[in-house]
Amino acid sequence: MNARRETLRGWGFAAPALIWTALLFVVPFAVMGAMSLAVLDGRTLIWGLHFDNYAALTEKAYLLRAIFVSLEITVTVTVVSILLAYPLAWVIAFHVPPRWQRLVLLLTILPFWTSYVVRSYAWLLVLAREGVVNTALTGLGLTAEPVTLASTRFATVTGFVHFFVMLLTLTIYANLIQLSPNYRRAAMDLGASAFQTFRHVILPLTLPGIMTGAFLTFVLCIGDYITPQILGGNNELTVPQVIMVQLGRRADFPLASALAIVLMAIVTLAYLGFARWLRLDRV
Amino acid sequence: MMRLLPWLYLAAMFTFIYLPVGVLVLFSFQDGGLPVPPVEGLSLRWYADILTDRRLVDALTNSLIVAISSGAVAVVLGFCAAYALARHVLPGAALLRGLLIAPLTVSYLIVGLGLLMVMNRLGIGLSLWTAGIGHVVINLPICFAIIYASMGAQHKNAERAARDLGANEAQVVLLVTVPMLAPAILAAFFLSVTLSWDEFIIAFLLTRFDVTLPVEIWNLLRSGLSPRLNAVGSIVFLVSVTTVLVLELLVFRRRRS
Amino acid sequence: MTRLNRMFLSTTILAGLAGLAGAGNAEAQDTLNALVWCDHTDAALIEPFEEAHDVRVNLREYEGTGAALALLEQSRPGDWDVLVIDGIDVFRAVEAGILAPLPDDELPTADFFPEVVMAENNSRDGTTYAVTEKFGYNTISYNAEAVDPADMQDLSAVWSETYDGRISIYDYYLPVMGLAALAEGIDTADITEGSLDAIGAVMDTMRSRAASIGGVVAAQTALATGEVDIVVGGGEWLTAVLAEDRPELTWTIPEQGAVRWSQSIGVLADSANPDLALEFVKYITGPEGQARLATSSCFWGMPANAKAGAHLTEDQKAVLRWDEQEDYLARTQLYPAPDAALDIEMQDLWLNMLQR
Repeated sequence: MNARRETLRGWGFAAPALIWTALLFVVPFAVMGAMSLAVLDGRTLIWGLHFDNYAALTEKAYLLRAIFVSLEITVTVTVVSILLAYPLAWVIAFHVPPRWQRLVLLLTILPFWTSYVVRSYAWLLVLAREGVVNTALTGLGLTAEPVTLASTRFATVTGFVHFFVMLLTLTIYANLIQLSPNYRRAAMDLGASAFQTFRHVILPLTLPGIMTGAFLTFVLCIGDYITPQILGGNNELTVPQVIMVQLGRRADFPLASALAIVLMAIVTLAYLGFARWLRLDRV
Repeated sequence: MMRLLPWLYLAAMFTFIYLPVGVLVLFSFQDGGLPVPPVEGLSLRWYADILTDRRLVDALTNSLIVAISSGAVAVVLGFCAAYALARHVLPGAALLRGLLIAPLTVSYLIVGLGLLMVMNRLGIGLSLWTAGIGHVVINLPICFAIIYASMGAQHKNAERAARDLGANEAQVVLLVTVPMLAPAILAAFFLSVTLSWDEFIIAFLLTRFDVTLPVEIWNLLRSGLSPRLNAVGSIVFLVSVTTVLVLELLVFRRRRS
Repeated sequence: MTRLNRMFLSTTILAGLAGLAGAGNAEAQDTLNALVWCDHTDAALIEPFEEAHDVRVNLREYEGTGAALALLEQSRPGDWDVLVIDGIDVFRAVEAGILAPLPDDELPTADFFPEVVMAENNSRDGTTYAVTEKFGYNTISYNAEAVDPADMQDLSAVWSETYDGRISIYDYYLPVMGLAALAEGIDTADITEGSLDAIGAVMDTMRSRAASIGGVVAAQTALATGEVDIVVGGGEWLTAVLAEDRPELTWTIPEQGAVRWSQSIGVLADSANPDLALEFVKYITGPEGQARLATSSCFWGMPANAKAGAHLTEDQKAVLRWDEQEDYLARTQLYPAPDAALDIEMQDLWLNMLQR
């Protein structure tokens, strides 16, 4: 009897959140699915089971290209961010005195308190032909002429890496700081060199943290609209940009929905790939 | 040299991290009309310009309102759900947890797009309310995750003790559980407010006239190149930094003592 | 209650009250909801009207005509009062039954430059549904210090190898494809599916020489920072705003001609405030409103109403090339106006070109 009442109370507490998620997340998703199977005839929307939008992926070159561009950029960003963030997290965790660690972390996060939109725009100024980077390059004599950096894939990747290095530094740091120093000591005692210790002890232990961060980076990066829109110069379009084009120029909700579903499918595949390291029960 | 390597790397990375903010703040004082080199002299006129811009000030207030209210709703819903799933045995708990976490892996663009279509179908007008609803959808999983992760066994014992001492359920939750989980609850609230404050795409899709600050900044960005944007960014930065410092002094210092 | 909790609670309550107060305030006045282009959001343009009529004008900017039409379709009746729309797209709005008829006798079209009254676009069956408020050109903007102005007089020289990587293309398919057509000697009114091959070839060349494709701000930034020296599809609307600081950023209309853009303003059929909306239209098309609109902060353009000249300074008129308008109007053509099928083909061609 008591158990039953407890269960009911449990449902009572859980209900608001569950209902909210069901109504405002699951239902829109279902609507989006149905919309992706609809078709636009001039201005009228025709529901039904039309696969035109999905077929368009094979017919319209720019759609398929957008998927490849998104994947290329996202993978590049993830790899570069990890390579830059890991050493930074390491330095903060093991070289900065413990008293100062939180301050250093805070200083790392601080620049990201400007508006995301404005920060991307600021990168445009930094990478401009007359901007800081080019002035430094020509000033130091590394290049004869200013290099075109803004409005390129390089700019988009830089803008992304800027943000995700911060994110990954935090996640990897959290992981590193939990490592008992005994592991390292034991390895050293057994005669391992610093590199071997790292490769066979530290790295495997921090892999879950890296993979969680990498997955988060992948998901956030592939779904982002602002950074490629501001920094990419429209030289190539990512999937979110193509979705917004469909919305903004044509109000083509069916095609936009189909593209959104495709994006979700890619993310789900990524999740399955990362699933080994992502443990939801230890949320 | 090798000993210096970690510090050199730290310095290099910090330069990288602070580069855009530095340029942003520098050119907000630009005297000329364009926020590009060369620096033509220093002036505060752009700050005066935006502080008297009614639309910007409105947008800023709107952002605060949406952030705080959506954060509050998300925390309450997240807390209740976490309490339910951590303290009661519910059938299909793993599935329910997965459902609650699911919005985390979906791009905000997709969440916004779905809600936009539903609002259109239902004939609901777009406004700050609809944007706020969207923000709760994306923040609820985070609040749930953070609070759920901090509900440990030691808290359970305290609750059991309270019940044994005759407290009813409401008292247990309000007087025992919530205070014990205060750090997690505050962290979740703070994070939600932060994410909502800076969130662009959902606010962009789901508002009509009353917009949030990121959307207004986006409009500015599309309307003309000017150091005004730099000034806005710098002010947002200043406000955020001050808030963080204040919280650091009030919340974390207190905990330490 | 801890001090922190109290702080949070009071902040939340204050924020809530502020929100309510704000909401209450807004409903005290009459409001006008307008769906516009960014040049209407200039406070200098809107505030005189708001003060004169004691109303609040709500403005929403939109990206493309398709988005505006969809937004209007999805809105409830009475949500919107005024619409600013591309001149060539007025017929779409009329066909969709969105616009209300306007009383000809109350509009100052008699004072307009004759070529921009464009009755064929703005009316149907003798009823006027919209009135032109501003026009300009999509042509070539360039940095006079970085390129040879003589080259800018010939479209094919503009995107020749000399300027490889020094060009930005304005991100709007209709005028840019119109320019491509003109470069091939095809009139914009004569563009058919058959012309798309020739146009596509020109676009490919253009694209291979371009460093970027962008909207208003991206193009301005690129030109201002020296990223590029030429903007294809630019015009006075792009560089006039920068003219004061950077007089070397200028524009011209080449021999082959250029494309003329125009925007019209109309009242929505299911507006809740049709009289106020009409007053707004009259304000915008009157001499003072026209002068302010012409020089608004997002982009400049020629006012449709010639009488606005009296309210512009000599410098402003020089930047707008007031005295050369007769020549320009004669040498430029309207945007391509494709039917639905051709429109989709053109958009696809454009998007494919973007992805190159």
